[in-house]
Amino acid sequence: MSEATATDDLGLLTTDAMRARRHPRALLGLWAWETALAALVGLPLASLARDAFGADPRGDGALWSPGGRELLSFATRELHGLNAIAIAAVAVLLAGAVAGLVPMAATMTAIAYATRDRKAAGVIRCVGEGLRQFPAMVLLLVIASISQGILVAVGLAAGSIVEAWMHSGMGEARAQQIEGLLLLVFVAAVGAIGVAHDLARAAVVRFKVSGGRGLMLGARTFRLAPVALSWSWAWRSLASLAPIVAAAWAAERLGGRGGIALGALLILHQAVVLARVGLRTSWLARALRAVDTSLRRVA
Amino acid sequence: MRPLRHAREDAPVRSSFLAAGALALALQPTDDAAPAPAPIQPTAPAADVSVPLAGPAFDDDAALPTHADDVVDYTLRATLDPAAHTIHGEGTITWRNTSTAMVRELWLHLYLNAFKNERSAYLRERVGGRGSTAPEDWGWIDVRKLVVRAPDTVPVDEWPRAELKRPGDDDETDARVPMPREIAPGETLQLDVTFDDKLPAVVERTGYRGSFHMVGQWFPKIARLEPDGRWAHFPFHHLAEFYADYGTYDVTLDVPAGFTIGATGPTVERTVAGGRAIERHIQGDVHDFAWTAWDRWQTFHETIGGVDVSLLYPRGFIRVAARDMASIRFALPYFSARYGRYPYRVLTVVHPQNDVEEAGGMEYPTLITSGGPWLTPPGILDPEITAVHELGHQWFYGLVGTNELAWPFLDEGLNQAAEVDAMGRWRGAGSAVDLLGLRISDANLQADEANGRAHDEPVAQSADSFSTGDNYGALVYARTATLIETLRRVYGDDAVGRALGRYARRFRFQHPGPVELLAIFEEVLGAHVAETMRATLFHEGWVDFVAEQAVTREAKTEGGVFDVDGKREDVRSVTKREGGFDSAVIVRRRGTLVLPVDVAMTMADGTTRVEHWDGEGDSKRFAWHGAVALRSVVVDPECRVLLDQNVENNRAATEDGGGGAWKTLERATYWMQLALQAVAP
Repeated sequence: MSEATATDDLGLLTTDAMRARRHPRALLGLWAWETALAALVGLPLASLARDAFGADPRGDGALWSPGGRELLSFATRELHGLNAIAIAAVAVLLAGAVAGLVPMAATMTAIAYATRDRKAAGVIRCVGEGLRQFPAMVLLLVIASISQGILVAVGLAAGSIVEAWMHSGMGEARAQQIEGLLLLVFVAAVGAIGVAHDLARAAVVRFKVSGGRGLMLGARTFRLAPVALSWSWAWRSLASLAPIVAAAWAAERLGGRGGIALGALLILHQAVVLARVGLRTSWLARALRAVDTSLRRVA
Repeated sequence: MRPLRHAREDAPVRSSFLAAGALALALQPTDDAAPAPAPIQPTAPAADVSVPLAGPAFDDDAALPTHADDVVDYTLRATLDPAAHTIHGEGTITWRNTSTAMVRELWLHLYLNAFKNERSAYLRERVGGRGSTAPEDWGWIDVRKLVVRAPDTVPVDEWPRAELKRPGDDDETDARVPMPREIAPGETLQLDVTFDDKLPAVVERTGYRGSFHMVGQWFPKIARLEPDGRWAHFPFHHLAEFYADYGTYDVTLDVPAGFTIGATGPTVERTVAGGRAIERHIQGDVHDFAWTAWDRWQTFHETIGGVDVSLLYPRGFIRVAARDMASIRFALPYFSARYGRYPYRVLTVVHPQNDVEEAGGMEYPTLITSGGPWLTPPGILDPEITAVHELGHQWFYGLVGTNELAWPFLDEGLNQAAEVDAMGRWRGAGSAVDLLGLRISDANLQADEANGRAHDEPVAQSADSFSTGDNYGALVYARTATLIETLRRVYGDDAVGRALGRYARRFRFQHPGPVELLAIFEEVLGAHVAETMRATLFHEGWVDFVAEQAVTREAKTEGGVFDVDGKREDVRSVTKREGGFDSAVIVRRRGTLVLPVDVAMTMADGTTRVEHWDGEGDSKRFAWHGAVALRSVVVDPECRVLLDQNVENNRAATEDGGGGAWKTLERATYWMQLALQAVAP
C-alpha cells in the first residue's frame, strides 16, 4: 500500500484502492459525455432520415429494410446532407479526442483521489483537476500521436517494400500476407506506445507533474513491466470487441423493426458502450496503480 | 445463315415480327449517331426477321439448334515466348461468303494494335472506365503474310495490298484487304496467314505481367459479313467489345513446358517435348478464341451438369477461387434451365491476381475470367457477382451473337439482368452485400446507379456514342438490368423469364438486334410492355411515382348556409352520429413510362388497405369512408418498380401519421459512440 500524498484538499488513495468499479458515477459521466457528443451527429442524421422516410408507417425502418433500396436511394439523393454530416462527424471526433482529455483526467482523478474524510472527490473538483492537467495531457497526446503516426507510416512503407520485393517470387497472396504480418509488428509497437502514453497520463494525474515529466515516468513504468502492462491493456482491448460483435449479431436478428425491438436494441447498444467505458476506465485505473507501484519500487 | 426449320407456323407471331420490322426502321440510328468509318448493321434486315418464327416452341430446349452455321474456321498454331511476351502465329482461315452479295474485299480486325500507340481509336477515345490508362508496355500485331486461295485463282499474298489505315486516321485495328477477284455468295476462301504479336502489359482484358499471359484479340480476325453484303467492321473502340461469325477454332498452343494453359475449348492433344508443352484445342460453334499461360497457375476441376469446369487460380487464392466455383455450381444449371442448355463440354474459369485485374471480369467462348482479391470478405459478393456475370455471357454474347459495338445493351445489359436475377435467386436480399446485418441486393445497386443517369442519353445506342464510361456502365449495364428486373417484378417472373428464354433459345447461334428482342417481349407480354421497353431503351423513358397527399378527418355532416323552403338556415357541421373517418390519398405518376403499381394505405389501427393503380393518367385519387383514420400511404410498397427515379417521395402521411426516425438516431448515435471510443483518450 502506498502512502497517501496530500494535494490541496484531496488525498491520494492507496494503490489497491484505485479501482474503476468503485466509481460508477465517473463511468456514467464518461458515458454521458460520449453520448452527448455522439448525439451531435446522430440528431442531424436522424433529422435527414425523418425528412426522407418519416412518412413511412415504419418510419426510418424503411431505410434498414433488406435489399437496401431505400438506404441506397437515401445515400444518393441526400449526398450533400450526408457529406455535411460526415464533416461534422470528423469535427466531433477531433473535438472528442482533444476535449475528451478533460473528462478522462477527471475520471482518473476520481479513481486516484478522495477527500480527506474519505469521500469521493466530487464532480467539480475532479473536472477542475482535469482542466488543470489539460495542457500536460495535450502535450502527451501530440507526442504520442506523432510517434504513432510515424510508426504507422514507416510500417506501411516497409510493408509495401517487402510486398513488392516478394510479389513476383511468392505471388500476390503470400507477399501480402507477409506484408500483413510485418504490419502487425508495427501495430504492436503502436499499441506499446499507446500503453506508455496511458501510463504517462496516469503519472500526470498521480504525481501532478508536467507532460514531459509524466512521459518519463510513464516510460520508466512501462520498462519495468512491459509484458504484464501490455497484456493488461491488450486483454481489456480485446474483451471490449466482444460486446460489439455480440450486439451486431443481435442487431442482425432484431432487424429494422421499431417498437420493443428498437427499445431492446437501444438498451443493448448502450450496455455495450457502457461496458467498453468500464473496460477502458479499468485499464486507466490499472495504469494509475502501475505508476504508483513503480514509484515505490524505484524509491 | 442457316434458316431454322423447326418453328411452328404462327400467323400472329409473324405479324408481330413484321410490325417489329417496321419498328426497326424507326429505331435505325441517324447518321450523327453512327460512326463514319464503320458501316454498322444495327439489326438484321426486316426481311430476314419475318422468316423465322418464335413462339412457344422456344420455351424449352427441344427446338434448340445443335450447331451454328460454320462461316469461318481458324486453324492456327501459336508459339509463346514468355520472356519477350511475343506470339508467333501461323495457320489458315477458311471463310465462306454467306451474304447475298458479291464480295470484293475482306475486313480483318487487328485489335491488338489498339495498344500500339496513342493514335489508336481505343486510346484516343478514353472517356473513363476500365482501360483508361495507356499500357505500361505497348502491344501490337504484325501480319507477315496473307495468301488468298480461291478456286480459279493463283495464290497470292494480298497483305502488301492491304489498307491498314484510313486517310487522316492512324488507327491500325481495322484492315481492308482487296480480293484478287469478286467472291460470289456461297463461295469459300482459304487464307494462309502468318503473324507476330507483341503483347502489351496487361490492359483491358489482355497482356502480360511477368510470366503471366492473358491472350485475347490476338489473331487477325475476319469481321462479320451481314446477309446483305455489308461488312460489320469497326476499329477497337474504348467502350466497345466485339462481333464476329460463328465457326470452328482449331488452335495449337506452344508454350514452355512449365506453363499451364487455359483456353477456349477442350484439350484434344497434349505433348511435352524439348522443353515445350504443346496443347491443341478445338471448339466449334463459337466466335472467338482466348487463352492464358502462366507458370504459376493452380488448377481445380469439377464436373457440373456434365460440363468439365476447370478453375485456374494463383497460389493463396484458393478461398476466393472456391467462391468462383460455388457461383458456377449454382449459375451454370440455372442459366441452362432459363436460357437453354450450355452446349459445350468444357468451361474454364480464370481467376487472375489483383495486380492484373484488368485481365479479370471478361468473357470468351467457354473461357471466363473472374476477379477479386484473395482476402475478399465473405459478405462482399463481388467475386460471386463477377463469376455469375461472366458466365451469363456464355448466353448473351456467346450463344446469342449480337453486335457488341452497335447494341451493347443486348449483351452487357441483358446479361446484367441475367446476373441480377440469378444473384437474387441464389443469395436473396443480400445478393451484393451481406455484412453485419446490412443486406444490399445486386438489383438495388443497379437501380440506384441507373436511375441517377436516366436522363443523360439513350441506353440503346452504339458503344462508341456514349459520352463517358460512367454513363456506358450506368445505362448499358445497370439501366437495362433495372428495366428487365422491373418488368419481372411487375409482370411476373414466369412471363419475363419466358420472354428472355424464348429470345435466347430462338436466336441461339444467330445475330439478332433490338427489333427481335422487342418482338419476343411483345409476343409474350404484349405491346404495352414492348412499348415500355422501347421508351426506356431508346428514348430515355423514366418514371417517378409520388405520394402527393394523404388526408383523413372525422366524418362530419355538411355545414354552411342553406336556403330551404324560402328560409335561410345556418347549419353547423357536426360529427356524424355513425362516426368514422373520410380519408383520401392522391398519388401521381411523373415521367413517360406507364407501369402499374400498388398503393398501400396504413390505418391508425395498423391495418393496411392495398389498392392497385394501372398507372394510366397523371394521377389517381383514392377516397373512402371507413371506421378507422388513415395514417400514411406508400406507393409501390414492395419496390417492384425499380425504375422509379425517387423512392423518397413514395410516402405521405397524415398529420398524425408517419413513423419518425428513431432507428437512425439510435444507430447513428451508437456508431458515433464507438467511433469516439476509438479515438478518444
